[in-house]
Amino acid sequence: MRIANRVSAVLAALFSLATAAEAQSANIQALATVYQPISFLSTRNLDFGNVFPGVAKTIGIAAATSGQFQMGGQASGNVNLTFTLPTNLVFGANNLPIATWTGCTSPTNTTAGCTAFTPSGAATGSAFSALGALWVFVGATVTPGAAQAAGNYTGTVTLTAAYF
Amino acid sequence: MRPCLLLLLLLPIATATPLAGQSTVTGIRDLNFGVVIRGVQTTVAPSDPIRSGRFYVRHILNRQVQVRFTLPTTLARVAGGATLPITFGATDAIAQGTAGSSVPVTFNPNNTQTFTLTTSADFNVNLGGRVSPAAGQATGAYRGTVTLTCTFF
Repeated sequence: MRIANRVSAVLAALFSLATAAEAQSANIQALATVYQPISFLSTRNLDFGNVFPGVAKTIGIAAATSGQFQMGGQASGNVNLTFTLPTNLVFGANNLPIATWTGCTSPTNTTAGCTAFTPSGAATGSAFSALGALWVFVGATVTPGAAQAAGNYTGTVTLTAAYF
Repeated sequence: MRPCLLLLLLLPIATATPLAGQSTVTGIRDLNFGVVIRGVQTTVAPSDPIRSGRFYVRHILNRQVQVRFTLPTTLARVAGGATLPITFGATDAIAQGTAGSSVPVTFNPNNTQTFTLTTSADFNVNLGGRVSPAAGQATGAYRGTVTLTCTFF
């Protein structure tokens, strides 16, 4: 009888061991970096002024009438700049070709010492200054035809900025 | 004679216990929201191959595993002084065996879930979620700990 009890006790203990659940834990981190939103504080039109049939005209980035975007964002935050550029300026049914885009980024409102890039469909990497500022300057060339119709030609240059 | 018989009876029962190290859970990848903007809710899907969190679980074919997350409700600013709300929805976790025939199972990480390992002895658990920075949220890095506890049967 005593042996039987012992056997039962051993069986119960081992059965308990066999069916006992084993628990384990592991950790990962949830991470996020909060930035302040990007804002466009001011813009300046890329203005070619008067152009004449058959005479190409270029506005460089350092010109007083180059296009300009003033942006605010996260201090030292990396940002991708992507442009949507017109291939023509339009006046009614008339097109004025625009091409040879140039660009430059600067932490201050000056093109002196700025970082040149070529505006295009591909993103250009840049960064906000330690004060969260970034200026982008753009220039281009228009090429009026010899029989270009007179008028006010316009087009839209869109800059999209996104942190990366 | 009796001890031998007893040993023979007990062996099959004893071998049913998982071997030490045979059943494991491992953190593989952090749930990383990256850069989020103040005032803009940001979501990471559990299917995101880069940003979703991931655990790896290994057990025994045809046995059961119960998984239970311990989830934060806020992330703490590393530099101190602020917290960032984080939530997990009903479809923010996906478990999938490593076998090619394994079918992904979407589940609520807020609830305990039990799986029977029928196609493979190991599987991955992916975790998504969303953070909701306030309009005046303090900028900077935030972090919190996600724990997955597995009970192996």
